[in-house]
Order: sequence, then C-alpha cells, then structure tokens
Amino acid sequence: MPPPSKTSGKNLEAESILQAVVLADSFNERFRPITLDTPRCLLPLCNTPLIEYTLELLAVAGVQGVYLFCREHSEAIKNYIKKSKWSRSYSPIKIITIVTPEARSVGDALRELDAKQLIDSDFILISGDVVSNIQLEKVLDAHRARKSVDSNAIMTMVVKEASPFHRTRSLGESPIFVLDTKTNECVHCESVELYPRKRRMTMDMEVFKKHADVQIRNDLIDCQIDICSVEVPALFTENFDYQDIRNDFVHGILTSDLLGKTIYCHLVKDVYAARVRNLHTYDAISKDVLSRWTYPIVPDSNLQEGDSYEFMRGHIYKEKDVSLSRSCSLGEKVLIGAGTEIAENVKITNSVIGRRVTIGPNVEIDGAYIWDDVKIKSNCSIFRSILANNVVLEENVIVKRGCLLSYDVVIGPNVTLEPYTKLTKHKKTSESDNEGEESNENEAYDSTLIGENGQGYIWSDEVSDTDDDEFDTKNIQIAGLAHDISNISLTDSDSPPSVIYDSSSDELSDSGESTTEEESLKEFFKEVSQTLERAFLDGHTVEIASLELNTLRMASNTTFHDLRVGVIPTILGQIDIENLLTSAEEILEQWGPLIGKLIHSRQDQIDTLYILQDHCAITQHHSKLFAPTLKKLYLLDVLDEDAILEWNSSELADDDPSKSSIRKKVAPFVKWLEEAEVEDSDNDD
Amino acid sequence: MLLRQVVSATRWNQVETLIKVVKEDVGRRLVMAQPRELAVGNIVRRVLRLIREVYNSEVATFDDNSAEDDDKDSNTDDDEKEDEEIKSKSSQKIRTFSFYGGSGTGTNTHSSMINLLGDGSPMGAKRASPLIISELQEMINELENTYVNIIDQAMEHIHSNEIIMTVGKSRTVEMFLKTAAKKRKFSVLVAETFPTYLGHEMALSLSEAGIDTTVISDSAIFAVMSRVNKVIMGTHAVLANGGLISVSGAQMVATAAKHHSKPVVVCTGLYKLSPLYPYDEDSFNDLVAPDPVFSFNEGDLIDKVTLLNPYYDYVSPELVSLFITNTGGHPPSYLYRLINENYDPDDTDI
Repeated sequence: MPPPSKTSGKNLEAESILQAVVLADSFNERFRPITLDTPRCLLPLCNTPLIEYTLELLAVAGVQGVYLFCREHSEAIKNYIKKSKWSRSYSPIKIITIVTPEARSVGDALRELDAKQLIDSDFILISGDVVSNIQLEKVLDAHRARKSVDSNAIMTMVVKEASPFHRTRSLGESPIFVLDTKTNECVHCESVELYPRKRRMTMDMEVFKKHADVQIRNDLIDCQIDICSVEVPALFTENFDYQDIRNDFVHGILTSDLLGKTIYCHLVKDVYAARVRNLHTYDAISKDVLSRWTYPIVPDSNLQEGDSYEFMRGHIYKEKDVSLSRSCSLGEKVLIGAGTEIAENVKITNSVIGRRVTIGPNVEIDGAYIWDDVKIKSNCSIFRSILANNVVLEENVIVKRGCLLSYDVVIGPNVTLEPYTKLTKHKKTSESDNEGEESNENEAYDSTLIGENGQGYIWSDEVSDTDDDEFDTKNIQIAGLAHDISNISLTDSDSPPSVIYDSSSDELSDSGESTTEEESLKEFFKEVSQTLERAFLDGHTVEIASLELNTLRMASNTTFHDLRVGVIPTILGQIDIENLLTSAEEILEQWGPLIGKLIHSRQDQIDTLYILQDHCAITQHHSKLFAPTLKKLYLLDVLDEDAILEWNSSELADDDPSKSSIRKKVAPFVKWLEEAEVEDSDNDD
Repeated sequence: MLLRQVVSATRWNQVETLIKVVKEDVGRRLVMAQPRELAVGNIVRRVLRLIREVYNSEVATFDDNSAEDDDKDSNTDDDEKEDEEIKSKSSQKIRTFSFYGGSGTGTNTHSSMINLLGDGSPMGAKRASPLIISELQEMINELENTYVNIIDQAMEHIHSNEIIMTVGKSRTVEMFLKTAAKKRKFSVLVAETFPTYLGHEMALSLSEAGIDTTVISDSAIFAVMSRVNKVIMGTHAVLANGGLISVSGAQMVATAAKHHSKPVVVCTGLYKLSPLYPYDEDSFNDLVAPDPVFSFNEGDLIDKVTLLNPYYDYVSPELVSLFITNTGGHPPSYLYRLINENYDPDDTDI
C-alpha cells in the first residue's frame, strides 16, 4: 500500500528519502535489573513504551526509513514493532530492525552501519529513548544551510537550554559545551562526571585564535538527537577505537587537526527534548510529560491505539474503565491506566499507575511509577520508586524512596524496604553479568528483608572495573531515582556547588585561559627535558628519542616549535662549559641529529637558530656555546648555509646587546660561509 | 481555518459514498483522531443528516415502485457489503491522512479532495448516490462560500468612525473588517492575546490593509473598553447553548464588554456550530505546553509550581450579543433552531 496521503507521496519523489538511525540499546546498565527482562526502549514512560515517543517524533518529522539497532532483547523489540501501528500498511515510516549482538557501543553500531552501506544521505541519529516535540525539519534545514556554508560540517547536535541544576538535565552526564557565539559551532565538548569533581578543563589555544567570541555553557541538556552527514559512520570505521558518540567521537573530531571537520550545535529553547538516561531523568521526564511540557506529546492525545486518556483538572489523566472509590484522593500529576481499581482512602500524588493495577485500602503513593498488573494490598506506602509489571505488595509494606522492584517481585507482608533497594527475581550469578539466571522457585529468599511471602533477590549494582569505585557508586546514586539535588550540595560541603557555577559562567576571560595554557606548556617543557635526560642517561638512540618526543608532542597537542624550544636548551645544557669545544663536539655529534629530526623546512631552521640565539643570550656562559654549536650543526647538515645567512641578515634581534655580541662571535663563521658560497658559484661557472 | 475547512471537505467526500453505519464508524474515527476539532464532527453530522434525508425520500419513492425494485435492493445490499470492505480500507487511509497529512498545505489537500471525488463517482450506479453527491456538492459550495456570505454582512454591522475591539486572530473577522474598511473608516483595537500573541499577527494584517489599528496589552482591555463601540471576535467552536470555545483571553474581553454594556458580535461559519453541550467548562479545552508562560529554564521552580496554559476560553452565552453566520445574524437564543435544522438528534453522539 502506498504512503497514507498523496501529498507526502509527492515529497517522496522530490527529495531523497529521509532516514533515521535509532539506537534501541543504550549500551549501559542503568536500568538494571529491570532491563534484564525488557529492553530499555520498551520501558513504559507514562504507560507508553519509550520507543513510541521517538518513532512519533520521527514520523512527524517526515522520516521514511528507520534503521533500528538492537542488541539485547532484539526479539522483544522486533515483536513489538511488528505488532505496533508502525508496521501497518498505512504507516508513514518503514522500520528495519538490525540486530547487532556483538556491538558493545554506539561506535560499533555505526561501524556496522557503515559496513552495510545503508545510508546514502544525511540522517538522524537518535537514541531510542528520546522524548521530544521538536520539529526536526527545522533542524534539518539548519543543518543543510550550515553545510552549504561550511562544507566540513558533519554533524549537528540538538541541545536544549535549561539551567545547570535542572531536573531534566541529568547531573554528571551532561557535557559542557563550548560554542562559538555567532555560528553555534561547537568548538569544545567536555564531559563532566560529578565525581570526581573536575576543577578545570583545558582547551586548545587554537580555539581562541579561530573564534573571537566563545561561550562556555553548562546549562544545556544534551538531547542525543544528532543530524549526521554520510561521512559520520565512515569516520567511525576509520577510528575503530571510538566508542561513545560524545566522549570519543565529538571530542576526537574537535581535537584532531587532521580531519578538519566541524560540528555544530542546534540550540532549542521553546520546544521540549530530553533523553531518558537514568532513573533520575526517567522521573523528571515523566513529570515533564504530565505537566504538559511536551505538548502535543501528552497522554490525552492518545498516541497509541487503544489509549483513551482524558485530562482532568490538576494534571490528572485517567483512562476509561478506571474505578475509583469515593474516598480516594488524587493529587496533582497523576496518570491512571485502564482497568485499574483503587480502593477506599487511597492517596495518590505525582504518580503514574499502569493498567489493571489493584490498589487496596489506605495505601499512600507519592512519586511512584507503578507499571501494569501490579497488586498493592492494604496499608502500603510507596515513595518515589518504580514497581515493574506484576509486582505484588502484601499488607503493610513500606517502600522508601529510590527503590526499584523488577518484574514479578513479591514483597511482604509487614516489611519496610530501605531507600535505594533494588530487587529482582533473577538471582545474580558472578560468572554471567549479562544474563541473570532464572532462579529456582524453591531456593530460599531472604525473608527478613522481603517478608514471609516475598520472592526476589537483592540486586547490587556491579561497579565497573575502573579504579575509583567510590566515585562510581556515587555517580550511580545520583543517577538514582529519588536523589535530591539539594542532597548533593549538602553532602559535599567540602566542595561547594559554586565550583560548577564557575564553569557555567557564560564567558571566561581569555587571560584566564591562557594562563592554563602557559601552565600546560611549562609542564610540557618539563616533560621534554625529562625525556631527554632519560635518553642521555640510558644512551638511547636518536630515533627512539625523537619518537618519544613526537608522542609527547601529540599527547599535549603542541607544535614542533614548542618542542624545539624544549629540546635545544636541554641538549646544550649537557655541554660542559669548562671543556667547551671537545664536549660540544661530543654531545652534538650524538644529539645534533635529534634536532635535525625536529626540523622539516627552511623556516624551521631559522626558527631553530632564533631559539639557539635566545638561549645563548641568557648568560655570558651560554653565549660561548653559540659559535661552536652553530658550526657543528652546520657540519652535521642540520642547518644549511642559506638558513644561517638568512638568519644573519635579519635585523630582528639586534637591539639586544647580548644578542648582538653573539652575532659578532659568529661573524667570522658567517663570513666564511659567504665566501664558500661565492666559491661554489664560481666553481659552477 | 481554510485548511480546516478544506480538510473537513475532503473527509466528508470520502464519507459520502459510505453506507450509513460505516459512516458513523468513519465519522467516529475522524472525530477521535482530533477530538478538539469540533468542526470535524459537525461536518460529519451534517453529512449524516443529509444522507438520512435523501435516503428517506428515496425509500418513499421505493415504496411506490413495484416488486422488481426488491431485486435491485438485494443487489444493492451486496454492493453495499463490498463497498463497506473497500471503504473500511479507505477509511483507514483517511484516518492516517488526518493524522499525518493534516498539516499539509491547502492546495495539496485540495487536489487530493478532487482525486477522492473521482474515486467516489463509480458509486453513482446506485440510485441514491447521484442525489447524495449533488446534495453534498451543494454543501461544499456552501462551505466554500461561508466567508463570502459572512463578509457580505459587514456593512450592516460596522459604521463610520466606530472603534472596534477584537482579540486573537480569526480569518473570518479579518476578512470581515477588511471588507468593511473598503467603504468605511473606523479604527480597530487589537488585544495582543498573551501567550500566543496572535493579536500581533492580526494587527499587522489589518494595518497592511490600511485600517487604523492599535495593539493593546491584555491588561488594558478593561480600561479601554469604555471607549469601544463594539467587540467583534472569531471563535473556535460554538456550543449548543450558545457558549463559545474561543482563544484564551476572549472570556475577559467578553466580560469587560458586558460590564460596559457593549455588544459582543461573533463571526463564525455555521460549520462551527456544534450540537454538543458543555457540562464542564474544561471539557473542550486544550492545555498546551506552558513554555510561553514560564520558561523551562527555571529548573528549580518548575518542580514546585503547577503551570497551566489553556489554549481556549469558554465564553458563556450571556456574554454574546449576536452571531453573524453565513445564513445571517442570529442571537444566541436562536441557536437551538439552527442545530435542529442542521443536525439530526441521533447524531449528537458520534
């Protein structure tokens, strides 16, 4: 069947098909243990699977082809897509699911994409858990316009303005963006982990040379919607170590001089866009949806077939066939799915209740996300937690904030769950991290913790194998559901939140930046001399030393000039002043070629001479060094006569008496050179 | 608004060839797709009414005819069944169309309307169909002439040197005022209509047409009302009791006018008249994103405050003095009659 309307049919012919790549896997384990059973993009947010929001966004933007990358639970996603309205004949978008079980990161997925050669024009790269009402056409147009101006523009990232401590901005995961004020070109992108707290960031001086006006912003929500050019997957293939799109790819592109590609940001202000990154943002985005920031993507526009939400005063959304008792009270921001029964004296505020949920009398629910088919018996209290499908709470259970009860867990009766408890039916096994093994029903549950009839195991977050465990756990905690932002600033009294404000102030003065630049240069020089001294001591060959120096240069992103400035004094420092001529002969015989390795052109040679001159002009001692060094370097073919003559004829340094005395010292040598030249030309005749 | 009108025209063109039951089905889906657009339901109801009338008169003629018609009837029944299948497919098409193509440009939708008219014509084999089609064609014409009929009355209502107040942006009102401005000189005050600022667009368009226009802030409405001669506004829908679903801010204008005993005139096509009754003033309202009212950037605050940004206002019928429709001017108390004329009571609930 053809696309739904004839109008879009015409567009289809006019321009090439707009494609989107949806990453259905997040490549992390934030939603464990719930994601053991369900892929993240199918987790319900306000009773609608997350991927619906993303696909709706794409459909509205006129996207026609969607490639859906999945890793875990690919069958579940496939089945879901097959059953959903998107695979009906009249669906405006065609979804192709690509299963990449071996992909471990975004980078792998994009490399796969490149290998399959599926993309032939600009495409939208979006993760499968983005909630947004942004009009992507505008962003696309802006991207194309930029591309026509700057042919190196390969990517546009969509970022939303917010404030540094905004609830929807996931703390510790939103990078600091440095943008050119006029063009919104992203010139630097630095990810900020909340722990360990970063106190400084370094930027290339180049940035300030190229851009007169830059903004450093810490108030942007990274929406994870990118408009990418065709080159992007190819770049991933070329740089096989890129894993993450932000930390590796963007950082890599921006710091690499070789590629010369540029990345832009698209700032959005009055539309909504955010990504469900962790439990904290899950909570925040649910609230945003319920308070209608995402309009028209709100429950009562009934995105999915069969939805029948109605909006009532006070941000209450109710589906059909909900039975409410007379004495129950619904507070603000409550969403209740069909078939739910709520008994007497129940209080619900700020919560999402799924379908076919039964809630017993005298239950209090605040800030909880209760998914489908949950049974809550009388006198329970639930605060700021997630209860997945089919959870059963027996009588008198209290679930404190930040708890996560995965599928089919049974709790109670008469139990209090401590904050941040995670429970699952899967027993965690040490050898397999990915697949929790199905537990044996007969195996004993910890009944003191989850009650007599309880079923479920504690799930502890495995800390990844980085060194700073403490920081990681802290980061995870912040990502947790109910973590108060105020808590963070309170618990870290030693590092006041003003640190973050500092970096978020709109413009840092250039001088402030250049001091850090100078510092880094000093550091670099120190390292250079250390490297060389090591080389002297261990008697390395020139090749090895130059290799080491080059790596050092790459690592600290400096120029050959800086390197020479570091190397020459160190080598000259090795020369014994007392025994000047012979030691100069020896040292330079061995290390002169190293200086030669750092020289690539005539300009470099002259530069070297200036460095040499500056160094020798510092003290009387040093000045003696100059003439022999120059001679030796000439003999070693490191410097050629033209360069020396050119240097000598330049008038730059003559105002300095010590420098001019150096000139005098080399005058005979220069003269000799000149004569040699004339002789040469005579011989030629 | 033109778009809406054309889109609704498209919709009922497809509806036209459906049998009554299917029609209700399609109509319901259409209404469900955009529950806030009451005009869609209104058009569907009018079509249903029309078909009922034609059908009834046909049945009357059938009764007079001989038994051979019975065969024809049974044939028609078979046809109808097939048609139902075809049409239920197309109805899905319509549905998606209304969902995704709804924002297409007016001209495109118009062309698709004609295409679909072509699709409908083979059905003319049936006896009742040509009649229905011709009746429907009449309805299209009527809808297309809605504006013309309304603006023709402009001279009767706007006099020289009057000061007129309006709120929001309404195509009907815009054309109404522009027509009057061709012959008469008067000045218009436009309330800026926070937070959509539709008033700004309205004022721009009016001043381009050479009308003396002043934009006032919403808070100044009451203050200047004493100098105003007449309030003219458009509306999103007219409900059965004569109440309006209009742009937010309209309620304030109407109340201020009532206080100063100024007439409130509402310009609207009849297709906006809905037989639905507002049991709750929120029932037909739409709350949009609160962004224009309060910036999302105020991170700490949005957690603690409840923000509402209603798109529409309910204006109660007592505040409205006159409706100017394409069939002439009517007071709010007369609307029940128009509803009876246009809609069948069976169709109120789609």
